Amino acid sequence: MADALVEFDSVVKRFGDFTAVETMNFTIDEGEFIAIMGPSGCGKTTTLRMLAGLEEPSEGEIRMQGRVMNHLPPHERDTPMVWQSLALFPFLNARENVEFGLEMRGVDAAARTKKALEWLDRLEISEFAERDINSLSGGQKQRVALARSLVTEPKILLLDEPLSALDANLVIRMQSMLTRLQRELGITFVYVTHSQSEAFAMADRVVIMSRGHIAQIGMPRDIYRAPENRFVAEFVGRNNIISGTVKSTSGKMVTIAGSLGQFKVAFGGAHQPVVGDAASFVIAADLVHLSTTKPKAGNMIECSLISEEFIGSVVTLFLEAPDGSEFKVQIQERELSDMDLKHMGRVFVSWASDRAHFIGAC
Amino acid sequence: MSVSNHPTETPSPGHTPIRRRHRSDLFQQALRLPIVIWQGLFFIAPLCFLVAMSFFIVRNYRMTEAFEMKNWFKMLSRDYFWDSYGLTIGLATLATLVVTTVAFPAAYTLAFRMSEVTRRWAIFLLIIPFFTSYLVRIFSWYVILAESGVINAMLGYIELGPYVMLNTKFGTIIGYMTLTLPLVIILQTFSLANIDRRLVEAAHNLGCRPWRTIIRVVLPLAKTGFIIAAVFCFILSFGDFVSPYYLGGSKPPTLPILIVDTVKSGQQWPRAAVVAVVMMVTLFIVAFGGIAAAYRRRTA
Repeated sequence: MADALVEFDSVVKRFGDFTAVETMNFTIDEGEFIAIMGPSGCGKTTTLRMLAGLEEPSEGEIRMQGRVMNHLPPHERDTPMVWQSLALFPFLNARENVEFGLEMRGVDAAARTKKALEWLDRLEISEFAERDINSLSGGQKQRVALARSLVTEPKILLLDEPLSALDANLVIRMQSMLTRLQRELGITFVYVTHSQSEAFAMADRVVIMSRGHIAQIGMPRDIYRAPENRFVAEFVGRNNIISGTVKSTSGKMVTIAGSLGQFKVAFGGAHQPVVGDAASFVIAADLVHLSTTKPKAGNMIECSLISEEFIGSVVTLFLEAPDGSEFKVQIQERELSDMDLKHMGRVFVSWASDRAHFIGAC
Repeated sequence: MSVSNHPTETPSPGHTPIRRRHRSDLFQQALRLPIVIWQGLFFIAPLCFLVAMSFFIVRNYRMTEAFEMKNWFKMLSRDYFWDSYGLTIGLATLATLVVTTVAFPAAYTLAFRMSEVTRRWAIFLLIIPFFTSYLVRIFSWYVILAESGVINAMLGYIELGPYVMLNTKFGTIIGYMTLTLPLVIILQTFSLANIDRRLVEAAHNLGCRPWRTIIRVVLPLAKTGFIIAAVFCFILSFGDFVSPYYLGGSKPPTLPILIVDTVKSGQQWPRAAVVAVVMMVTLFIVAFGGIAAAYRRRTA
């Protein structure tokens, strides 16, 4: 692992009575693409603003390369940010916007123009260099904003939901541009987003936040397949959470009994099952097997089909379990068309025990 | 809805939107009518009369209708007219510069450093001076600026003065500021309060020091409002009679004083009209120039 570039050490941020960020501990490595993700109001943007010096932590320390950053004003840091609103200066043209940071560092006019044009060229918008900011399209503005932040060659780039205003096609293209840039430059990207697809597509590591706390930190695949708690399981992906009490354990297998029956679940994570305790497990919607005939044995629930959501090659089916709860299944569209399901018709969902993920009582 | 009661006026539903559209147009026209009438009767018509009057002549202290260029040649060929013109423009420009500069720190503090509630109270307090007559406010300066007035009395304690402040250009500028400063602070405050804070943060984020941010980012963003405020300040000062007359001592006269003097000396209404028309033309140029500068967009 590379060295830690940024360390959050028991950082707390309060606004009056409201605690936006609560005892946050985590490190960001050099050259890492890290995404901070969570619903609105979870404290992700506050975390980013503290990194940029736009907010001061109420408690704890933020260190960058070992140096305490708490009281360093924003203009003395080298933590450029790409804003959700882009915050481009409307009274400057594209090139002048990119030059701004260099001008503040006292780079002479000729050198900064050369540098700005290089960056505009690198981001494939050199033809718009002398254009008024307001005459550029969303994607072009985005590139100007990126160039403006990267022109000073910082060690770290902060991105605050930069793609949220763009249309879906453009988002995909910008994502691949961002990941390519980050790899080429080798600098740290801290990317705040509420979009799971953006976070998972680009980041090396994802920090999931909920109400000022870190709910889970991990690689996208781990977070997707092995959520540590109910919040992450509900926030990430299409998961079914089934609750009950622990009936028995044997080896790496636990039996959970609830209103939907008895289920065998493999466990191996942080949570240790205790017989008699309340416990839950997660079964992802895309790991479920769907059939119209009753499977012979194993984990299964008999459901009725309520509705379907067609988004392309994958279809999400919303089923109703016997206790009235909702059960989601994701299958390929071509599989579904072979199955001949009827509305309110009987279907069976089943899964292998090692597909389910034990999350304990939380 | 009297129309819908009429049997022939209730055709197929397809017609109703058009009818309603037509009626709302009429309604909007009716709403506009009072202002059109008002402006026509009390602005356009007097203005036309003013221009026409500048071509009238005065015989035996009586104004008679005519169309002669005499008044224009008489006024525009006199040095005292151009001296007065230069003085009025100079004083109004100076007042505009001083007021804009003095207002900025106050407006900046109100817009960026105060809470919403404090700002609202401050703006309310800035409106209060307009409750009292401008003339009363100007006379109150007599007490303060006179040779035996408040300021000289205080300066006397530290063995300074007395300074002559009444009947000077300084007095005129103080009067102009009394008239325009609260308004300019209010306009500047609104203009600054509307600035997108994220742009200011972005400047800091890119390494711009707070002071430099004001010059490099805040002022360019507030440009439109600041120019409009300055134009107001210039227009009000340029046309003001009270301050140069009572605090400035009326000599040498500014254009508004010249108008009064010209009317008083031999009923020369037509020559006063010439001065008034020249003033209006000047103000039109300043106002249009100012607004053009305020809304000028960068060209790619």
